Amino acid sequence: MNSSRPAVIAVASGKGGTGKTTVAAHLAFASAQDRKTLLVDLDVEAPDALGYFPQAKPVGGATSVRIAVPQLLEGQCTGCGRCASSCRFGAILCLGGVVTIDGKICKGCGLCVSACPSAALDEAEIEVGNTAEYSTDALIVLEGRTKVGDIRSTAVIEETKTRAREIDVELQIRDCPPGVSCPATHAIEGADYLVLVAEPTEFSIHDLGAALSLARDGGIPVGVVVNKDGFGKADVARFCRERGAQIIGRLAFSRERAEAGAAAALWTGDAAFMAQMTSLLEHALSEARTMKVAP
Amino acid sequence: MTVSVASGKGGAGKTSISAAIAELLAPDCVYADCDVDAANGAIALGASIREREPYNAGPGFRIDADRCVGCGLCAEACRFHAIRHGMTEYSIAAELCERCGACLDRCPVGAIVTYEKRAGELFVSDTRLGIPLIHAELIPGEDTSGKLVRKVRERAERITGEGAVLIVDSPPGIGCPVIASLSGSDLVIIAIEASASGIRDAERLIELVATMKRKVVILINKTGLDPLMDARARNMAGQAGIPIAGEIPFAPELRSLEETGETWLSADCVAQKRVASALRAVKGILYTMKRAKGAQEDRT
Repeated sequence: MNSSRPAVIAVASGKGGTGKTTVAAHLAFASAQDRKTLLVDLDVEAPDALGYFPQAKPVGGATSVRIAVPQLLEGQCTGCGRCASSCRFGAILCLGGVVTIDGKICKGCGLCVSACPSAALDEAEIEVGNTAEYSTDALIVLEGRTKVGDIRSTAVIEETKTRAREIDVELQIRDCPPGVSCPATHAIEGADYLVLVAEPTEFSIHDLGAALSLARDGGIPVGVVVNKDGFGKADVARFCRERGAQIIGRLAFSRERAEAGAAAALWTGDAAFMAQMTSLLEHALSEARTMKVAP
Repeated sequence: MTVSVASGKGGAGKTSISAAIAELLAPDCVYADCDVDAANGAIALGASIREREPYNAGPGFRIDADRCVGCGLCAEACRFHAIRHGMTEYSIAAELCERCGACLDRCPVGAIVTYEKRAGELFVSDTRLGIPLIHAELIPGEDTSGKLVRKVRERAERITGEGAVLIVDSPPGIGCPVIASLSGSDLVIIAIEASASGIRDAERLIELVATMKRKVVILINKTGLDPLMDARARNMAGQAGIPIAGEIPFAPELRSLEETGETWLSADCVAQKRVASALRAVKGILYTMKRAKGAQEDRT
Protein backbone atom coordinates (compact mmCIF):
# COMPACT_ATOMS: atom_id res chain seq x y z
CA MET A 1 0.00 0.00 0.00
CA ASN A 2 1.19 3.48 -0.82
CA SER A 3 1.98 5.08 2.54
CA SER A 4 1.30 8.61 1.28
CA ARG A 5 -2.35 7.80 0.71
CA PRO A 6 -4.79 6.04 3.01
CA ALA A 7 -6.74 3.02 1.85
CA VAL A 8 -10.30 3.87 0.82
CA ILE A 9 -13.21 1.53 1.56
CA ALA A 10 -16.54 2.54 0.02
CA VAL A 11 -19.89 1.29 1.32
CA ALA A 12 -22.74 1.26 -1.21
CA SER A 13 -25.81 -0.83 -2.04
CA GLY A 14 -27.95 -0.02 -5.07
CA LYS A 15 -31.19 -0.10 -3.06
CA GLY A 16 -31.63 2.52 -0.37
CA GLY A 17 -32.30 1.63 3.24
CA THR A 18 -30.37 -1.65 3.31
CA GLY A 19 -27.96 -0.39 5.98
CA LYS A 20 -25.12 1.42 4.18
CA THR A 21 -24.79 4.11 6.81
CA THR A 22 -25.15 1.62 9.67
CA VAL A 23 -22.36 -0.55 8.26
CA ALA A 24 -20.13 2.43 7.37
CA ALA A 25 -20.54 3.97 10.83
CA HIS A 26 -19.74 0.71 12.63
CA LEU A 27 -16.76 -0.04 10.37
CA ALA A 28 -15.46 3.45 11.09
CA PHE A 29 -16.00 3.01 14.81
CA ALA A 30 -14.22 -0.37 14.78
CA SER A 31 -11.35 1.01 12.72
CA ALA A 32 -10.91 4.03 14.98
CA GLN A 33 -10.03 1.70 17.88
CA ASP A 34 -6.78 0.86 16.10
CA ARG A 35 -5.98 3.68 13.70
CA LYS A 36 -6.81 7.23 12.77
CA THR A 37 -9.91 6.93 10.59
CA LEU A 38 -11.97 9.25 8.43
CA LEU A 39 -15.64 8.57 7.73
CA VAL A 40 -16.71 10.50 4.62
CA ASP A 41 -20.43 10.99 4.07
CA LEU A 42 -20.86 11.15 0.30
CA ASP A 43 -24.62 10.62 0.40
CA VAL A 44 -24.77 14.39 -0.02
CA GLU A 45 -28.51 14.55 -0.80
CA ALA A 46 -29.36 12.70 2.41
CA PRO A 47 -26.34 12.74 4.74
CA ASP A 48 -26.95 10.72 7.91
CA ALA A 49 -23.60 9.28 9.06
CA LEU A 50 -22.96 12.05 11.58
CA GLY A 51 -26.17 11.05 13.38
CA TYR A 52 -24.35 7.98 14.75
CA PHE A 53 -21.74 10.17 16.48
CA PRO A 54 -23.62 12.77 18.54
CA GLN A 55 -20.51 13.35 20.66
CA ALA A 56 -18.46 14.51 17.64
CA LYS A 57 -17.38 18.15 17.83
CA PRO A 58 -17.28 20.44 14.81
CA VAL A 59 -13.80 21.30 13.55
CA GLY A 60 -14.21 24.82 12.19
CA GLY A 61 -17.44 25.72 10.45
CA ALA A 62 -19.05 24.52 7.23
CA THR A 63 -17.01 25.26 4.11
CA SER A 64 -19.04 26.03 1.04
CA VAL A 65 -18.70 24.13 -2.24
CA ARG A 66 -18.84 26.50 -5.17
CA ILE A 67 -18.89 26.27 -8.92
CA ALA A 68 -18.31 29.06 -11.45
CA VAL A 69 -21.32 29.87 -13.63
CA PRO A 70 -21.37 32.35 -16.53
CA GLN A 71 -22.82 35.84 -16.28
CA LEU A 72 -23.63 38.06 -19.20
CA LEU A 73 -21.88 41.42 -19.58
CA GLU A 74 -24.83 43.10 -21.34
CA GLY A 75 -23.02 45.79 -23.32
CA GLN A 76 -20.56 43.34 -24.84
CA CYS A 77 -22.93 40.64 -26.12
CA THR A 78 -23.53 40.71 -29.86
CA GLY A 79 -26.20 38.02 -29.68
CA CYS A 80 -24.27 35.61 -31.92
CA GLY A 81 -25.54 32.63 -29.93
CA ARG A 82 -22.28 30.68 -29.86
CA CYS A 83 -22.50 30.30 -26.10
CA ALA A 84 -25.95 28.71 -26.45
CA SER A 85 -24.88 26.28 -29.14
CA SER A 86 -21.75 25.30 -27.21
CA CYS A 87 -23.67 24.39 -24.04
CA ARG A 88 -24.49 20.69 -23.89
CA PHE A 89 -26.69 21.08 -20.82
CA GLY A 90 -29.24 23.41 -22.41
CA ALA A 91 -28.44 26.03 -19.78
CA ILE A 92 -28.12 28.89 -22.28
CA LEU A 93 -30.85 30.07 -24.59
CA CYS A 94 -30.35 32.58 -27.40
CA LEU A 95 -33.61 33.79 -28.94
CA GLY A 96 -33.60 36.66 -31.40
CA GLY A 97 -30.14 37.68 -30.26
CA VAL A 98 -31.12 37.76 -26.60
CA VAL A 99 -29.10 35.45 -24.35
CA THR A 100 -30.63 33.93 -21.20
CA ILE A 101 -28.56 31.83 -18.80
CA ASP A 102 -30.13 29.28 -16.44
CA GLY A 103 -27.64 29.17 -13.56
CA LYS A 104 -29.58 26.34 -11.92
CA ILE A 105 -28.76 23.73 -14.55
CA CYS A 106 -25.30 25.02 -15.55
CA LYS A 107 -22.57 22.54 -14.56
CA GLY A 108 -19.85 25.18 -14.62
CA CYS A 109 -17.74 23.61 -17.36
CA GLY A 110 -16.68 27.03 -18.70
CA LEU A 111 -17.07 26.05 -22.35
CA CYS A 112 -19.43 28.96 -23.13
CA VAL A 113 -16.88 31.46 -21.81
CA SER A 114 -14.22 30.22 -24.18
CA ALA A 115 -16.73 29.94 -27.03
CA CYS A 116 -17.75 33.62 -26.78
CA PRO A 117 -15.89 35.65 -29.42
CA SER A 118 -16.57 39.02 -27.78
CA ALA A 119 -15.61 38.33 -24.14
CA ALA A 120 -19.21 38.98 -23.10
CA LEU A 121 -19.27 36.24 -20.46
CA ASP A 122 -17.82 36.61 -17.04
CA GLU A 123 -17.94 33.95 -14.32
CA ALA A 124 -19.32 34.21 -10.82
CA GLU A 125 -19.14 31.56 -8.11
CA ILE A 126 -22.34 30.17 -6.66
CA GLU A 127 -22.80 27.82 -3.73
CA VAL A 128 -24.08 24.32 -4.52
CA GLY A 129 -23.47 22.76 -1.10
CA ASN A 130 -20.98 22.55 1.72
CA THR A 131 -18.71 20.27 3.67
CA ALA A 132 -18.22 20.13 7.42
CA GLU A 133 -15.69 18.29 9.55
CA TYR A 134 -16.36 16.78 12.98
CA SER A 135 -14.11 14.83 15.25
CA THR A 136 -14.31 12.42 18.15
CA ASP A 137 -11.14 10.75 19.52
CA ALA A 138 -9.51 8.86 16.66
CA LEU A 139 -12.44 9.29 14.31
CA ILE A 140 -13.03 12.21 11.99
CA VAL A 141 -16.31 12.60 10.12
CA LEU A 142 -16.41 14.70 6.96
CA GLU A 143 -19.91 15.41 5.73
CA GLY A 144 -20.81 16.65 2.25
CA ARG A 145 -24.22 18.23 1.82
CA THR A 146 -25.95 19.59 -1.28
CA LYS A 147 -28.01 22.70 -1.05
CA VAL A 148 -31.73 21.81 -1.15
CA GLY A 149 -33.06 22.32 -4.67
CA ASP A 150 -29.65 22.13 -6.32
CA ILE A 151 -29.14 19.35 -8.86
CA ARG A 152 -25.33 19.42 -8.86
CA SER A 153 -24.73 16.78 -6.21
CA THR A 154 -21.78 15.35 -8.14
CA ALA A 155 -19.90 18.65 -7.73
CA VAL A 156 -20.40 18.38 -3.96
CA ILE A 157 -19.30 14.72 -3.95
CA GLU A 158 -16.11 15.49 -5.89
CA GLU A 159 -15.23 18.45 -3.68
CA THR A 160 -15.88 16.37 -0.54
CA LYS A 161 -13.54 13.68 -1.92
CA THR A 162 -10.88 16.33 -2.57
CA ARG A 163 -11.18 17.72 0.94
CA ALA A 164 -11.10 14.21 2.39
CA ARG A 165 -7.70 13.67 0.74
CA GLU A 166 -6.32 16.63 2.66
CA ILE A 167 -7.13 15.04 6.02
CA ASP A 168 -4.26 12.95 7.36
CA VAL A 169 -5.60 9.53 8.36
CA GLU A 170 -4.69 5.88 7.86
CA LEU A 171 -8.05 4.72 6.59
CA GLN A 172 -10.95 6.38 4.80
CA ILE A 173 -14.44 4.90 4.84
CA ARG A 174 -16.98 6.34 2.43
CA ASP A 175 -20.74 6.20 2.97
CA CYS A 176 -22.09 6.33 -0.60
CA PRO A 177 -25.50 7.34 -1.99
CA PRO A 178 -28.02 4.74 -3.20
CA GLY A 179 -28.57 4.03 -6.89
CA VAL A 180 -26.13 3.27 -9.68
CA SER A 181 -26.04 6.53 -11.65
CA CYS A 182 -23.88 9.61 -11.38
CA PRO A 183 -23.89 10.26 -7.61
CA ALA A 184 -23.06 6.61 -6.79
CA THR A 185 -20.46 6.40 -9.56
CA HIS A 186 -18.68 9.51 -8.34
CA ALA A 187 -18.78 8.33 -4.73
CA ILE A 188 -17.32 4.90 -5.56
CA GLU A 189 -14.64 6.19 -7.95
CA GLY A 190 -11.15 5.96 -6.46
CA ALA A 191 -12.07 3.41 -3.77
CA ASP A 192 -9.73 0.48 -3.10
CA TYR A 193 -12.48 -1.82 -1.93
CA LEU A 194 -16.27 -1.76 -2.18
CA VAL A 195 -18.59 -3.18 0.46
CA LEU A 196 -22.11 -3.70 -0.93
CA VAL A 197 -24.82 -3.96 1.70
CA ALA A 198 -27.82 -6.11 0.75
CA GLU A 199 -30.87 -7.34 2.63
CA PRO A 200 -32.65 -10.64 1.94
CA THR A 201 -35.46 -9.16 -0.19
CA GLU A 202 -36.12 -9.46 -3.93
CA PHE A 203 -35.94 -5.66 -4.23
CA SER A 204 -32.48 -5.58 -2.72
CA ILE A 205 -31.16 -8.49 -4.80
CA HIS A 206 -32.28 -6.81 -8.00
CA ASP A 207 -30.50 -3.58 -7.10
CA LEU A 208 -27.43 -5.45 -5.81
CA GLY A 209 -27.02 -6.87 -9.31
CA ALA A 210 -26.78 -3.36 -10.77
CA ALA A 211 -24.32 -2.28 -8.07
CA LEU A 212 -22.12 -5.35 -8.78
CA SER A 213 -21.96 -4.35 -12.46
CA LEU A 214 -20.91 -0.87 -11.42
CA ALA A 215 -18.05 -2.22 -9.29
CA ARG A 216 -16.94 -4.54 -12.05
CA ASP A 217 -16.84 -1.69 -14.59
CA GLY A 218 -14.73 0.33 -12.19
CA GLY A 219 -12.40 -2.63 -11.54
CA ILE A 220 -12.90 -2.34 -7.79
CA PRO A 221 -12.74 -5.51 -5.64
CA VAL A 222 -16.07 -6.07 -3.94
CA GLY A 223 -17.61 -7.99 -1.07
CA VAL A 224 -21.27 -8.33 -0.12
CA VAL A 225 -22.59 -7.92 3.42
CA VAL A 226 -26.02 -9.40 4.08
CA ASN A 227 -27.71 -7.10 6.57
CA LYS A 228 -30.97 -7.89 8.38
CA ASP A 229 -30.15 -11.56 7.78
CA GLY A 230 -33.25 -13.62 8.49
CA PHE A 231 -35.60 -10.68 7.91
CA GLY A 232 -36.68 -11.86 4.47
CA LYS A 233 -36.54 -15.12 2.56
CA ALA A 234 -34.89 -13.99 -0.66
CA ASP A 235 -31.72 -15.96 -1.39
CA VAL A 236 -28.85 -13.48 -1.53
CA ALA A 237 -26.28 -16.30 -1.29
CA ARG A 238 -27.53 -18.02 -4.42
CA PHE A 239 -27.61 -14.74 -6.31
CA CYS A 240 -24.03 -13.96 -5.24
CA ARG A 241 -22.87 -17.42 -6.29
CA GLU A 242 -24.42 -16.94 -9.72
CA ARG A 243 -22.79 -13.55 -10.08
CA GLY A 244 -19.44 -14.69 -8.73
CA ALA A 245 -19.57 -12.28 -5.81
CA GLN A 246 -18.30 -13.11 -2.35
CA ILE A 247 -20.39 -12.73 0.79
CA ILE A 248 -18.00 -11.36 3.42
CA GLY A 249 -20.41 -11.04 6.33
CA ARG A 250 -23.91 -11.61 7.65
CA LEU A 251 -25.51 -9.33 10.21
CA ALA A 252 -28.48 -10.97 11.86
CA PHE A 253 -31.83 -9.19 12.02
CA SER A 254 -33.18 -8.52 15.47
CA ARG A 255 -35.93 -6.22 16.64
CA GLU A 256 -33.51 -4.75 19.23
CA ARG A 257 -30.99 -3.79 16.55
CA ALA A 258 -33.79 -2.32 14.40
CA GLU A 259 -34.80 -0.19 17.41
CA ALA A 260 -31.21 0.99 17.88
CA GLY A 261 -31.04 1.73 14.15
CA ALA A 262 -34.18 3.87 14.33
CA ALA A 263 -32.47 6.04 16.93
CA ALA A 264 -29.15 6.00 14.97
CA ALA A 265 -27.49 4.50 18.05
CA LEU A 266 -24.27 2.53 17.60
CA TRP A 267 -24.69 -1.17 18.44
CA THR A 268 -21.31 -1.39 20.09
CA GLY A 269 -22.52 -3.17 23.24
CA ASP A 270 -22.91 -6.40 21.27
CA ALA A 271 -19.44 -7.97 21.33
CA ALA A 272 -20.26 -10.58 18.69
CA PHE A 273 -21.59 -7.91 16.34
CA MET A 274 -18.53 -5.71 16.83
CA ALA A 275 -16.21 -8.70 16.31
CA GLN A 276 -17.94 -9.22 12.98
CA MET A 277 -17.34 -5.57 12.09
CA THR A 278 -13.65 -5.91 12.92
CA SER A 279 -13.31 -9.03 10.81
CA LEU A 280 -15.18 -7.37 7.92
CA LEU A 281 -12.79 -4.48 8.17
CA GLU A 282 -9.71 -6.71 8.23
CA HIS A 283 -11.00 -8.61 5.22
CA ALA A 284 -11.69 -5.42 3.27
CA LEU A 285 -8.26 -4.04 4.15
CA SER A 286 -6.43 -7.18 3.11
CA GLU A 287 -8.29 -7.31 -0.20
CA ALA A 288 -7.74 -3.61 -0.81
CA ARG A 289 -4.04 -3.98 -0.16
CA THR A 290 -3.73 -7.06 -2.31
CA MET A 291 -5.30 -5.25 -5.21
CA LYS A 292 -3.06 -2.23 -4.73
CA VAL A 293 0.19 -4.14 -5.03
CA ALA A 294 -1.07 -6.25 -7.94
CA PRO A 295 0.09 -4.99 -11.35
CA MET B 1 -54.16 13.50 -11.84
CA THR B 2 -50.64 12.65 -10.76
CA VAL B 3 -49.48 11.52 -7.31
CA SER B 4 -45.77 11.10 -6.56
CA VAL B 5 -44.43 9.03 -3.67
CA ALA B 6 -41.07 10.23 -2.33
CA SER B 7 -39.04 9.94 0.88
CA GLY B 8 -35.55 11.46 0.94
CA LYS B 9 -34.11 8.40 2.66
CA GLY B 10 -33.99 5.14 0.73
CA GLY B 11 -35.85 2.13 2.08
CA ALA B 12 -38.63 4.23 3.62
CA GLY B 13 -41.31 2.26 1.79
CA LYS B 14 -41.89 4.25 -1.42
CA THR B 15 -42.35 1.24 -3.70
CA SER B 16 -44.45 -0.74 -1.21
CA ILE B 17 -46.73 2.29 -0.69
CA SER B 18 -46.95 2.99 -4.44
CA ALA B 19 -47.83 -0.64 -5.18
CA ALA B 20 -50.52 -0.74 -2.48
CA ILE B 21 -52.07 2.51 -3.77
CA ALA B 22 -52.04 1.00 -7.28
CA GLU B 23 -53.92 -2.06 -6.02
CA LEU B 24 -56.42 0.21 -4.25
CA LEU B 25 -57.06 2.32 -7.36
CA ALA B 26 -56.83 -0.40 -10.04
CA PRO B 27 -57.95 -0.44 -12.81
CA ASP B 28 -58.14 3.38 -12.88
CA CYS B 29 -54.43 4.08 -12.56
CA VAL B 30 -51.06 3.85 -14.27
CA TYR B 31 -47.77 3.18 -12.45
CA ALA B 32 -44.60 5.05 -13.44
CA ASP B 33 -41.48 3.65 -11.76
CA CYS B 34 -39.17 6.65 -11.79
CA ASP B 35 -36.50 5.09 -9.57
CA VAL B 36 -34.62 4.18 -12.74
CA ASP B 37 -31.40 3.43 -10.81
CA ALA B 38 -33.02 0.77 -8.68
CA ALA B 39 -36.33 -0.04 -10.31
CA ASN B 40 -38.42 -2.41 -8.21
CA GLY B 41 -41.93 -1.58 -9.43
CA ALA B 42 -41.77 -4.51 -11.85
CA ILE B 43 -41.05 -6.92 -8.97
CA ALA B 44 -43.80 -5.41 -6.80
CA LEU B 45 -46.45 -5.61 -9.53
CA GLY B 46 -45.41 -8.81 -11.29
CA ALA B 47 -44.75 -7.28 -14.71
CA SER B 48 -44.45 -8.79 -18.15
CA ILE B 49 -42.84 -6.51 -20.71
CA ARG B 50 -45.00 -5.54 -23.67
CA GLU B 51 -42.87 -2.83 -25.34
CA ARG B 52 -39.20 -1.87 -25.20
CA GLU B 53 -37.55 1.35 -26.29
CA PRO B 54 -33.81 2.04 -26.21
CA TYR B 55 -32.63 5.08 -24.29
CA ASN B 56 -29.59 7.03 -25.45
CA ALA B 57 -28.35 9.74 -23.15
CA GLY B 58 -26.24 11.66 -25.66
CA PRO B 59 -22.67 11.19 -26.74
CA GLY B 60 -19.80 10.00 -24.60
CA PHE B 61 -16.24 11.21 -25.20
CA ARG B 62 -12.97 9.34 -25.65
CA ILE B 63 -9.45 10.06 -26.82
CA ASP B 64 -8.24 8.57 -30.09
CA ALA B 65 -4.71 7.48 -29.12
CA ASP B 66 -3.53 7.47 -32.74
CA ARG B 67 -4.33 11.13 -33.19
CA CYS B 68 -3.38 12.38 -29.70
CA VAL B 69 -0.09 14.31 -29.61
CA GLY B 70 0.00 14.40 -25.82
CA CYS B 71 -0.14 18.19 -25.45
CA GLY B 72 -2.43 17.96 -22.39
CA LEU B 73 -4.65 20.90 -23.37
CA CYS B 74 -7.74 18.70 -22.93
CA ALA B 75 -6.81 17.92 -19.32
CA GLU B 76 -6.31 21.63 -18.72
CA ALA B 77 -9.74 22.44 -20.21
CA CYS B 78 -11.56 19.80 -18.13
CA ARG B 79 -12.86 21.27 -14.90
CA PHE B 80 -14.05 17.89 -13.66
CA HIS B 81 -10.56 16.32 -13.50
CA ALA B 82 -11.82 13.54 -15.75
CA ILE B 83 -8.78 13.54 -18.06
CA ARG B 84 -5.69 11.95 -16.64
CA HIS B 85 -2.28 11.09 -17.87
CA GLY B 86 -1.65 7.44 -17.26
CA MET B 87 1.61 5.55 -17.82
CA THR B 88 1.89 6.52 -21.46
CA GLU B 89 -1.13 8.48 -22.62
CA TYR B 90 -4.12 10.66 -21.76
CA SER B 91 -7.50 9.07 -21.19
CA ILE B 92 -10.97 10.12 -20.07
CA ALA B 93 -12.38 8.61 -16.88
CA ALA B 94 -16.01 7.95 -17.88
CA GLU B 95 -17.17 7.95 -14.24
CA LEU B 96 -16.00 11.55 -13.78
CA CYS B 97 -16.83 12.94 -17.24
CA GLU B 98 -19.81 15.33 -17.24
CA ARG B 99 -19.93 15.24 -21.08
CA CYS B 100 -19.60 19.01 -21.45
CA GLY B 101 -17.34 18.81 -24.50
CA ALA B 102 -14.75 21.34 -23.28
CA CYS B 103 -11.96 18.89 -24.18
CA LEU B 104 -13.26 18.40 -27.71
CA ASP B 105 -13.42 22.15 -28.17
CA ARG B 106 -9.84 22.66 -26.96
CA CYS B 107 -8.05 19.75 -28.68
CA PRO B 108 -5.94 21.17 -31.52
CA VAL B 109 -5.63 17.89 -33.45
CA GLY B 110 -9.16 16.48 -33.33
CA ALA B 111 -8.17 13.57 -31.11
CA ILE B 112 -11.29 13.72 -28.95
CA VAL B 113 -14.06 11.70 -30.54
CA THR B 114 -17.66 11.23 -29.51
CA TYR B 115 -19.56 7.97 -29.55
CA GLU B 116 -23.21 7.10 -29.10
CA LYS B 117 -23.78 4.89 -26.13
CA ARG B 118 -26.91 3.05 -25.06
CA ALA B 119 -27.63 4.33 -21.56
CA GLY B 120 -30.66 2.25 -20.75
CA GLU B 121 -34.04 0.96 -21.84
CA LEU B 122 -37.62 2.04 -21.28
CA PHE B 123 -40.41 -0.52 -20.88
CA VAL B 124 -44.18 -0.62 -21.01
CA SER B 125 -45.45 -3.66 -19.12
CA ASP B 126 -48.64 -5.45 -18.19
CA THR B 127 -49.04 -6.22 -14.51
CA ARG B 128 -50.92 -8.69 -12.38
CA LEU B 129 -53.11 -5.78 -11.21
CA GLY B 130 -54.23 -5.25 -14.81
CA ILE B 131 -52.78 -1.73 -14.90
CA PRO B 132 -49.94 -0.58 -17.15
CA LEU B 133 -46.47 -0.08 -15.68
CA ILE B 134 -43.93 2.23 -17.30
CA HIS B 135 -40.43 1.55 -16.07
CA ALA B 136 -36.82 1.73 -17.15
CA GLU B 137 -33.42 0.32 -16.43
CA LEU B 138 -30.46 2.64 -16.45
CA ILE B 139 -27.22 0.88 -17.37
CA PRO B 140 -25.12 1.00 -14.17
CA GLY B 141 -22.68 3.89 -14.25
CA GLU B 142 -24.64 5.86 -16.82
CA ASP B 143 -25.33 9.51 -16.33
CA THR B 144 -28.52 11.55 -16.83
CA SER B 145 -31.02 9.57 -14.80
CA GLY B 146 -33.10 12.79 -14.55
CA LYS B 147 -33.56 12.74 -18.31
CA LEU B 148 -34.68 9.10 -18.26
CA VAL B 149 -37.13 9.92 -15.43
CA ARG B 150 -38.69 12.61 -17.62
CA LYS B 151 -39.03 10.09 -20.47
CA VAL B 152 -40.74 7.55 -18.18
CA ARG B 153 -43.14 10.23 -16.92
CA GLU B 154 -43.94 11.54 -20.41
CA ARG B 155 -44.67 8.04 -21.65
CA ALA B 156 -46.86 7.30 -18.62
CA GLU B 157 -48.75 10.59 -18.93
CA ARG B 158 -49.60 9.77 -22.54
CA ILE B 159 -51.35 6.52 -21.61
CA THR B 160 -53.03 7.78 -18.44
CA GLY B 161 -56.67 8.20 -19.42
CA GLU B 162 -59.01 11.02 -18.42
CA GLY B 163 -60.00 10.56 -14.79
CA ALA B 164 -57.27 7.98 -14.08
CA VAL B 165 -54.49 8.49 -11.55
CA LEU B 166 -50.81 8.36 -12.46
CA ILE B 167 -48.73 6.99 -9.57
CA VAL B 168 -45.08 8.06 -9.67
CA ASP B 169 -42.72 5.93 -7.57
CA SER B 170 -39.79 8.33 -7.05
CA PRO B 171 -36.11 7.71 -6.35
CA PRO B 172 -34.51 8.48 -2.97
CA GLY B 173 -32.59 11.68 -2.34
CA ILE B 174 -33.47 15.24 -3.31
CA GLY B 175 -31.46 15.57 -6.52
CA CYS B 176 -32.27 15.90 -10.19
CA PRO B 177 -34.18 12.60 -10.72
CA VAL B 178 -36.31 13.42 -7.65
CA ILE B 179 -37.11 16.92 -8.90
CA ALA B 180 -38.04 15.38 -12.28
CA SER B 181 -40.31 12.88 -10.48
CA LEU B 182 -42.16 15.55 -8.50
CA SER B 183 -42.51 18.38 -11.04
CA GLY B 184 -46.05 18.81 -12.21
CA SER B 185 -47.54 16.36 -9.68
CA ASP B 186 -50.89 17.27 -8.12
CA LEU B 187 -50.05 15.52 -4.86
CA VAL B 188 -46.79 14.40 -3.25
CA ILE B 189 -46.90 11.66 -0.62
CA ILE B 190 -43.85 11.89 1.62
CA ALA B 191 -43.03 8.59 3.30
CA ILE B 192 -41.18 9.34 6.50
CA GLU B 193 -39.31 6.46 8.06
CA ALA B 194 -39.73 6.97 11.81
CA SER B 195 -35.99 6.96 12.46
CA ALA B 196 -33.38 9.63 13.12
CA SER B 197 -32.04 9.31 9.56
CA GLY B 198 -35.49 9.07 7.98
CA ILE B 199 -36.66 12.22 9.72
CA ARG B 200 -33.54 14.20 8.84
CA ASP B 201 -33.80 13.24 5.16
CA ALA B 202 -37.55 13.90 5.02
CA GLU B 203 -36.93 17.36 6.43
CA ARG B 204 -34.78 18.22 3.41
CA LEU B 205 -37.39 16.76 1.05
CA ILE B 206 -40.15 18.81 2.71
CA GLU B 207 -38.01 21.91 2.15
CA LEU B 208 -37.60 20.96 -1.52
CA VAL B 209 -41.30 20.27 -2.06
CA ALA B 210 -42.18 23.61 -0.43
CA THR B 211 -40.10 25.43 -3.07
CA MET B 212 -41.95 23.46 -5.76
CA LYS B 213 -45.32 24.47 -4.27
CA ARG B 214 -46.91 21.01 -4.44
CA LYS B 215 -49.76 19.73 -2.27
CA VAL B 216 -48.33 17.24 0.24
CA VAL B 217 -49.49 14.52 2.65
CA ILE B 218 -47.32 12.45 4.95
CA LEU B 219 -47.31 8.73 5.69
CA ILE B 220 -45.16 7.76 8.66
CA ASN B 221 -43.68 4.31 8.13
CA LYS B 222 -42.01 1.83 10.52
CA THR B 223 -43.50 3.33 13.66
CA GLY B 224 -43.23 1.61 17.03
CA LEU B 225 -39.46 1.04 17.02
CA ASP B 226 -38.68 4.17 19.01
CA PRO B 227 -41.53 6.26 20.51
CA LEU B 228 -39.33 9.37 20.48
CA MET B 229 -38.81 9.06 16.72
CA ASP B 230 -42.55 8.52 16.14
CA ALA B 231 -43.25 11.72 18.08
CA ARG B 232 -40.55 13.63 16.21
CA ALA B 233 -41.97 12.56 12.84
CA ARG B 234 -45.46 13.71 13.89
CA ASN B 235 -44.08 17.01 15.19
CA MET B 236 -42.21 17.66 11.98
CA ALA B 237 -45.41 17.16 9.96
CA GLY B 238 -47.28 19.45 12.34
CA GLN B 239 -44.67 22.17 12.18
CA ALA B 240 -44.58 22.02 8.38
CA GLY B 241 -48.40 22.19 8.35
CA ILE B 242 -48.65 18.93 6.39
CA PRO B 243 -51.50 16.50 7.16
CA ILE B 244 -50.62 12.93 8.18
CA ALA B 245 -52.63 10.40 6.19
CA GLY B 246 -51.67 7.57 8.50
CA GLU B 247 -49.00 5.58 10.27
CA ILE B 248 -47.70 2.16 9.32
CA PRO B 249 -46.13 0.10 12.09
CA PHE B 250 -42.81 -1.69 11.69
CA ALA B 251 -43.83 -5.28 11.08
CA PRO B 252 -41.60 -7.99 9.62
CA GLU B 253 -44.76 -9.39 7.91
CA LEU B 254 -44.90 -6.25 5.74
CA ARG B 255 -41.35 -6.57 4.39
CA SER B 256 -40.78 -8.20 1.00
CA LEU B 257 -44.40 -9.08 0.13
CA GLU B 258 -43.21 -9.32 -3.48
CA GLU B 259 -42.20 -12.90 -2.64
CA THR B 260 -45.85 -13.88 -2.40
CA GLY B 261 -47.10 -11.58 -5.16
CA GLU B 262 -49.07 -9.37 -2.80
CA THR B 263 -49.08 -5.71 -1.89
CA TRP B 264 -49.50 -4.20 1.56
CA LEU B 265 -53.19 -3.82 0.84
CA SER B 266 -53.82 -7.54 0.88
CA ALA B 267 -51.27 -8.45 3.57
CA ASP B 268 -52.54 -10.89 6.14
CA CYS B 269 -51.23 -9.44 9.41
CA VAL B 270 -52.17 -7.22 12.34
CA ALA B 271 -50.48 -4.19 10.79
CA GLN B 272 -52.66 -4.52 7.70
CA LYS B 273 -55.59 -2.61 9.24
CA ARG B 274 -53.41 0.42 9.84
CA VAL B 275 -52.04 0.22 6.30
CA ALA B 276 -55.51 -0.07 4.79
CA SER B 277 -56.86 2.90 6.73
CA ALA B 278 -53.83 5.05 5.81
CA LEU B 279 -54.27 4.18 2.16
CA ARG B 280 -58.02 4.82 2.24
CA ALA B 281 -57.21 8.29 3.60
CA VAL B 282 -54.88 8.88 0.63
CA LYS B 283 -57.61 7.68 -1.73
CA GLY B 284 -60.06 10.09 -0.11
CA ILE B 285 -57.68 13.02 -0.59
CA LEU B 286 -57.13 12.04 -4.23
CA TYR B 287 -60.85 11.82 -4.97
CA THR B 288 -61.56 15.14 -3.29
CA MET B 289 -58.80 16.73 -5.36
CA LYS B 290 -60.14 15.08 -8.50
CA ARG B 291 -63.65 16.40 -7.86
CA ALA B 292 -62.29 19.91 -7.17
CA LYS B 293 -60.28 19.74 -10.37
CA GLY B 294 -63.31 18.53 -12.32
CA ALA B 295 -65.47 21.34 -10.91
CA GLN B 296 -62.82 23.87 -11.84
CA GLU B 297 -62.64 22.51 -15.39
CA ASP B 298 -66.45 22.67 -15.68
CA ARG B 299 -66.40 26.33 -14.71
CA THR B 300 -63.79 27.26 -17.30
